[in-house]
Amino acid sequence: MTTRADTAPTPPLTNAAVQHSAGRCLALCLLSTASTAVVLLLPAALGRTLDLLLAHAPATRWVLYCAGLVLLAALLDACETVLSGTVDARTTAWLRRRLAGHVLALGPRAGARFGPGDLVARLVGNAAQAGTAPAARAALLAALAGPVGGVVALGLVDWRLAAVFLAGAPVLTLLLRAFARDTTRCVADYQRVQGRIATSLAEAVAGSRTVRAAGTADRETARILRPLPELSRAGHRMWRVQGRAAGQASAVAPLLQLGIVAVAGVLLTRHRLTVGEVLAASRYAVLATGVGVLVGQFASLARARAATARLADVLEQPAPAYGNHQLPSGPGRLELRGVTARRGDHTVLDGIDLTVPGGTTLAVVGRSGTGKSLLAALAGRLADPDAGEILLDGVPLPSLPHDQLRRAVGYAFERPALLGTTIEDTIALGLRSPSPARVREAARKARADDFVRRLPHGYATPCADAPHSGGESQRLGLARAFAHGGRLLVLDDALSSLDTVTEARIADALLADGSATTRLIVAHRATTAARADAVAWLDGGKVRAVGTHARLWRDAGYRAVFGDGGAG
Amino acid sequence: MRGGVGVRGLRFLWVRWRVVLRLAGWSVVEAGQTFLTGYAPARALDQGFLAGRAGLGLAWLALAGVGVLLGAYGTARAYAAVAALVEPLRDRLVERVVGRGVREADGAALSGLTQQVEIARDTFAGLVMVSRSFAFTAVGALAGLVSLDPLLLLVVGPPLLAGVALFAATLRPLARRQEAYLVADEALAHHWGAVCPGLRDITATGAEERIAADTGDRIDAELGTARALAHWGVLRVASLAIGGQLPIVLLLAAAPWLLDRGVTTGALVGALAYVTQSLLPALRNLVHGLGTSGSRLTVVLRRLAPAPSRREAATGPCGQDSSRDAGPPPARPGARRPRASATTPAAPATGSPLPATSSTPPALALNAVTFAYGPTAAPVIEDLDLTLRPGAHLAVVGPSGIGKSTLTALVAGLLRPRQGTVRVGGATVPSAAAAAQRVLIPQEAYVFTGTLAENLGHFRPDPGPEAELLAAVDAVGMGPLAERLGGPGARVDPAALSAGERQLVALARAYLSYAPLVLLDEATCHLDPQAEERAERAFMERPGTTLVVVAHRISSARRAERVLVMDGTGTAYGTHAELMRVSALYRDLVGSWAPGPAGGSEPALALRDADRVDAVAGPGLAGDGRHVVAHGPVGQVQAPGDLGDGGPLGGKG
Repeated sequence: MTTRADTAPTPPLTNAAVQHSAGRCLALCLLSTASTAVVLLLPAALGRTLDLLLAHAPATRWVLYCAGLVLLAALLDACETVLSGTVDARTTAWLRRRLAGHVLALGPRAGARFGPGDLVARLVGNAAQAGTAPAARAALLAALAGPVGGVVALGLVDWRLAAVFLAGAPVLTLLLRAFARDTTRCVADYQRVQGRIATSLAEAVAGSRTVRAAGTADRETARILRPLPELSRAGHRMWRVQGRAAGQASAVAPLLQLGIVAVAGVLLTRHRLTVGEVLAASRYAVLATGVGVLVGQFASLARARAATARLADVLEQPAPAYGNHQLPSGPGRLELRGVTARRGDHTVLDGIDLTVPGGTTLAVVGRSGTGKSLLAALAGRLADPDAGEILLDGVPLPSLPHDQLRRAVGYAFERPALLGTTIEDTIALGLRSPSPARVREAARKARADDFVRRLPHGYATPCADAPHSGGESQRLGLARAFAHGGRLLVLDDALSSLDTVTEARIADALLADGSATTRLIVAHRATTAARADAVAWLDGGKVRAVGTHARLWRDAGYRAVFGDGGAG
Repeated sequence: MRGGVGVRGLRFLWVRWRVVLRLAGWSVVEAGQTFLTGYAPARALDQGFLAGRAGLGLAWLALAGVGVLLGAYGTARAYAAVAALVEPLRDRLVERVVGRGVREADGAALSGLTQQVEIARDTFAGLVMVSRSFAFTAVGALAGLVSLDPLLLLVVGPPLLAGVALFAATLRPLARRQEAYLVADEALAHHWGAVCPGLRDITATGAEERIAADTGDRIDAELGTARALAHWGVLRVASLAIGGQLPIVLLLAAAPWLLDRGVTTGALVGALAYVTQSLLPALRNLVHGLGTSGSRLTVVLRRLAPAPSRREAATGPCGQDSSRDAGPPPARPGARRPRASATTPAAPATGSPLPATSSTPPALALNAVTFAYGPTAAPVIEDLDLTLRPGAHLAVVGPSGIGKSTLTALVAGLLRPRQGTVRVGGATVPSAAAAAQRVLIPQEAYVFTGTLAENLGHFRPDPGPEAELLAAVDAVGMGPLAERLGGPGARVDPAALSAGERQLVALARAYLSYAPLVLLDEATCHLDPQAEERAERAFMERPGTTLVVVAHRISSARRAERVLVMDGTGTAYGTHAELMRVSALYRDLVGSWAPGPAGGSEPALALRDADRVDAVAGPGLAGDGRHVVAHGPVGQVQAPGDLGDGGPLGGKG
């Protein structure tokens, strides 16, 4: 997948992961190698013992040797099982912790770069895959030694046996390769039908209120399930193809082994081999066919490395650094000086100069895609500009320590992500000393108190069960921002889903609370802009005008900003 | 619970005994191959190579080779038989997931369909293959041992049994660890599923440490379960050593004794071959496959087919709509509170202007209805009385989230009141009679992939004649859309329609239904004001129709005979003119000025775009659309009517 995984030597992350469990990895390597050595010794010992037994010679010592080897193999196997399981678990946890820490430090930068779904996939699936790399690497020597040792041992028994194996092995690999054939088409068919069912189901879930009210759930279920027989047919086809492949694969190794036994048998008749050696040869043939397993092991190691590379991708993103300038007490004056920000090749904000005096409200308006949300993100350092600087009460944002910056700036968003166990916990997210009173006061101010109290368990309602209509989510997000406080409050289109009466009430509470908070409000509605002390009109990445809404309203271009609706 | 899954599993197999038999048949072919694994080399040695007859030896080995090929064929056919078990299971799971998804509006059903069902399918197949393979390999190998010499069975059998017994005994605790691990892993994935889309919010609130701590806890929990699982792996190794390795040592130790009793060299070699080449690998597959697949399957099945008791919890309240079933049982007689305490109708007494004639029952009657989403939750609707005569036209207005949709859900019978009764056309809600007399069109219009006629006929047993269909299409103003789509027979792709177009389909569908009471719950919010008016008028003129409109714009209220204003703590009811006089909230909603009760600090606003706004229709708005009013520190602007609707609420996501 990732090209780097194929070209680069072992990613350094794997080395770091190996170092994290260095002792265990070394032990695992030794254990597994010892285990393989024992497994390779056993057939020879078995053969020798059998020969002695058949010759009615004293064989007690050799039987004990065999017993010892079997016991040793079991013990080593047990240790190896525990150790490799533990190393996998430790490494996975270590990688996840590292990655999670870095993702949290990157914050929205990680989300913007990789997308939330991809990040989850990396943290969950890729980390688990990558976690197997150190143990797999440690056991690789042993895994190699098994089949190679088998072939060598065959050769030691008789060179012809090894020759038979080496001649037959290519056939084996060729036939194994046939496995992958034409499964992909069946799988695609299957997934297509499955996708059709999923689409219909998604439609019905979205329209559930209609369906439930009309009592047509059964009819709809039947309609959605109409392609099911087709899915079943595709499924049966998949199994048939897979069965053929499995049958083929399962025949190859025993046939090869029978061939070796046949040659060994012929050699037996010529007294070149003993019965015990025939037995040993047949066991070594089995060990040698472990080559197939080895191929699988290499493949999974390659997967683990590709997964590691995907984790390294994330870790390579530089996390924002914080300074240690103390934030002086101040009214929350926000200044943007020559701020330029790009997204890809596109310059979204181009040399913005803007000042919001402490304690005042600035509305930011502009058509979709003019960078209003980006400006809001820059104002509280959710993103960094490509050029220029942003100052809060005279201090450049990157100079501020993390905690001071976050305490000073509060945010509410158009579509807030509501994290936390309960509604109360959600509103109190990030608070150093949350108190029920503070949470309720903030909720009242955000006009969320009423509907929260109507939930089944009020503020203790688990967040997952809580309502998430656009307006309700926004009010919870606002309550969180109000509880958070700070000298600068940034509302990024955070009132857009509210009905105008509720919006007016919240805006009144927000503007009339008399606190010295500076507010930056990204707005789509004229009414919101009208409430602000001043409006910054963004157009084509630049500030086209700053002024009161009333003054700007005389400009037809400004009015047109609101004309195309408030769709975000 | 675990037993429950097991018992259901056995019943599933029992019903499909033919398939099981077929599977067994092909497995016997495979077992035949296993039989030859030891028997053929033994005979090849005894009669062939050791007797100096290489040809005979090779012939025996060739026979074993034929056995291998037959066995491979058996394996391929066994897969097909497994499919006949697995695919019906998958079908049933899909049916169940889809059924529940549709009934409970469970968005999780989608991941259930595409992921969990597939996991169940794969693990079930793995389970069947592994246990089947072990059973038949064991039978083949043991039969082979007996035919070589029954004494061999005496040596190999007991340790094999002991190993399997040890594994069986540890299966349950092992499966529990496996399950704990899967659950911890899932919890972690779920946690990240919430965190990753919320990174912006975490940074913005400075909650990184708290989230990192939460994450760390979950990682540690998962690590703990993974470690426990690794340690329990020792038991697997022990089962393998006892069942598969010990017989080798025992065979050697007993060899002098066996040879003395006439066991041949070939038989001894064959016995060793059975143990090392058949029993040990089969046991290994069983030990590794059964524990993992078994617990994975159990976990997934439990999730896909939860026991009935869990359903209550699963249908927790969420959102304005849908899945709130949890309402307490209907009216408790005797527990009724004194009337009209909390609800003080601000306007003329409830329902009085519409005296119902004694002969026909009212189209809708709510009697002292109280509703809350939980026993401890504050009520959404309290002691509400409302009566509508047939043919009446009511608009319901109020801020978002105030309970307007809850009211329509109560009327539609989707929710049950804590107290009080709801009757539709004289029939008590919920009942089939009541359901037949009302149709509810919610804000989120339901259009499915299918023909337009299928979509429009959703509320009827059959779509009916095309002329009627086209008349309805025309009435609600959907004509141009229907034409563009290609007429009633054309296929509709919901994703290709705009939110407004979907609403038109839903409106035409409601128009076609036979129900006299029509509940439009913001069903026109994505239409422009003209289209909305046309649709509403269509229902006003629809014969015998009683219309309840949850208003998205105030213009809907102005068209209605009566308006119900909801405001959390109370309701007001009356005509537009009456409410303009007595309801401050209604005046706010309409957008005129109120001498604010709180000292005039509440400025009147142009209540226009997004939600319940229609500035054009509101009185007191300047016609030029540029009415700028200085008010306090901030200029107030009455924005013009060109704001349209397109409110971001709901639909745009």
